[in-house]
Amino acid sequence: MGAERLSEQLEQIVLKRIAEDSLVLPTLPSVVTKALEVLKDPDVSFKHVGTIIERDPVLAARLLRAATSAAFAGGTKKVTLPEALTRLGARAVRTLLVEATAQKVFVSRDPKIAESMKRVWQHSVAVATLSRDVLALSGNADSEAAYLAGLLHDVGKPVVASMLLEFERQVTEVYNRPFIDSAEWVTVIGRTHRAVGVALAEKWQMPEQVTRCIRDCAEYDNADRSSLVNIVCFSNSLAKKTGIYAGTIDADEVDALVMIGRSIIGANDEIIKTLTRGLKERVANLYD
Amino acid sequence: MATILTVDDSRSVRTIVAKQVKDLGFEVEEAEDGVQGLSKLGEREYDLVLLDVTMPNLDGPGMLAKMREIGNKTPVIMLTSESKRSVVSGVMKIGIADYILKPFKPEELKAKVLSVLQGEGGAEEVLAVSSEPPPAPAEPAARVEAGKQFVDVLVVDDMENVHKKLRAMLPNHVSLNGVTSAQAALQTCRQRVYRVALVDTEIPDVDSAVLAQQLKVLQPHAAFVALALRTTNDVVGEARAQGFDNVLFKPFNQDNVDDFLAQYFDNQDLLSAEENVLKAAPFAGRADRIDKYYTRIGETFNSLLTKVAAACFEDVILDVSAAPTTGDRLAKFLLAAAEQAKQVGIRFSVVGTPELQKILNSYTETKELRFHASVAEAQAAAQA
Repeated sequence: MGAERLSEQLEQIVLKRIAEDSLVLPTLPSVVTKALEVLKDPDVSFKHVGTIIERDPVLAARLLRAATSAAFAGGTKKVTLPEALTRLGARAVRTLLVEATAQKVFVSRDPKIAESMKRVWQHSVAVATLSRDVLALSGNADSEAAYLAGLLHDVGKPVVASMLLEFERQVTEVYNRPFIDSAEWVTVIGRTHRAVGVALAEKWQMPEQVTRCIRDCAEYDNADRSSLVNIVCFSNSLAKKTGIYAGTIDADEVDALVMIGRSIIGANDEIIKTLTRGLKERVANLYD
Repeated sequence: MATILTVDDSRSVRTIVAKQVKDLGFEVEEAEDGVQGLSKLGEREYDLVLLDVTMPNLDGPGMLAKMREIGNKTPVIMLTSESKRSVVSGVMKIGIADYILKPFKPEELKAKVLSVLQGEGGAEEVLAVSSEPPPAPAEPAARVEAGKQFVDVLVVDDMENVHKKLRAMLPNHVSLNGVTSAQAALQTCRQRVYRVALVDTEIPDVDSAVLAQQLKVLQPHAAFVALALRTTNDVVGEARAQGFDNVLFKPFNQDNVDDFLAQYFDNQDLLSAEENVLKAAPFAGRADRIDKYYTRIGETFNSLLTKVAAACFEDVILDVSAAPTTGDRLAKFLLAAAEQAKQVGIRFSVVGTPELQKILNSYTETKELRFHASVAEAQAAAQA
């Protein structure tokens, strides 16, 4: 079987599994699921949320660290978990819970894809950060939705990569046949990751606009200029243009997306400079 | 005068474009498809082509390709409802200066047409390099965007009392807006231009670093200062790590507020210049800060005097009607100013209150200074 034919078959297998709802997707940890559930209640007490989250000490430590950072109160004193959650607020807690879970999806023990997935994660954080900032141009303060949409826009990539690793093991070890080369890996991931990402977002019960971004953010939606899809599409192209991406990119297409985005978002040169100033350092410092 | 060719199969689009381009003072000609467009380009030279993508007979990319084939390098801005990256990427490879998506705002068309015609090249490489320093604080007169109101200070703090306290400690000529939420901050930053934004680090449910970064997108020239409590931590270091330029500690004290004023509202504000008339701003700080006020005015006077001399004025008129007359500080300053004017060969006149006149007459060194009760009187005397 030729490599090209194999890559087509792999693509079909991924898409078929999605259609049949038989795709094995990463699940939200039970602590996160439970916490997100209770956070839907606007009157929930953070003491109650804290008792759920403290069952996962690593997650609790991450939230405490976020709450005591300079951004959230000057890091003045040690705080309890409920105090930290109160300081962060429900929206930020929800985002941090999803972010912590999503980051694990991008971690691979397989050296073949580990480094690439780390770079995809850094790219995702850059797109999330930019999306949140680009949203300001519309005067909308719901930055958490923009951040999540940017963060998850490529979440299907590590899932497809893990599936391909498993296929590779079967093809090479069980059937003793050659597998697809790295360029075809990229092609298969490129063709399937959005569908997989949408399936994952639906399973995680992400807001509809976040799911829509994962599905549609490869192109601008000129029927709805202020849509989150356009914000993520522009942020994605800016992150790539700034050099924060994994694998290869089509530089001409990135330039085109930046140029279209300047018009559709209404971003002038000064705004783009402000958006991208120090972005690499900001992203690198977030997850040392 | 520059002449622009608009190529679009829609008459209404051509009409709108033509009107807006004419409003900018340029000539405009129209073509309804690529064939007509090429024909027009063959008849005369244009400074810019505004080109649609989808047109009958010969579309925009086709016309652009033929233009470049025959060596026509006229800059082209694509003006289209086509937003597919493959299409735009294709025309970018052939060579366009910029791109405008229909429907467009008149200000976008005007900005991009002017940018290309003024040789800025339209969509140039604008991404910031990581090591690039942050922008300097805004210069109000030069930076105010058209149609936007300029305000000196924005305070973002959920406690309204913070706005009131700071308002009471700032001089009246420093304007201030206060907002209590992130949403309100974003809204006001879309409508106004600020010189300094003060952002509280403890607004409930708000990540102040994120909010500051969002506000920076809307206020690229503003300085960002964190409002924070004094703690044993390195608050200034932490705030700078979060992207703030500085910190103003709460609760406020007049010394810190005066230092803040000195840092972000440069000396030029204390002494303004209109041709050869220099005017001192009122002093609004504490009595024991008067020395600092006169030191700053003195520093500014030096540089403004140089400009007056460079502009070949024979006189400089210094209006100190609003300056404080307590003690001998004003008299000393005027004596030094008169000496500096003499050194650069300019005649020096003072405009002030009757009280100042009495003070100046009481010192041997200052009673000979040319004194006038108004700027008009001083100007008349200078022309006599």
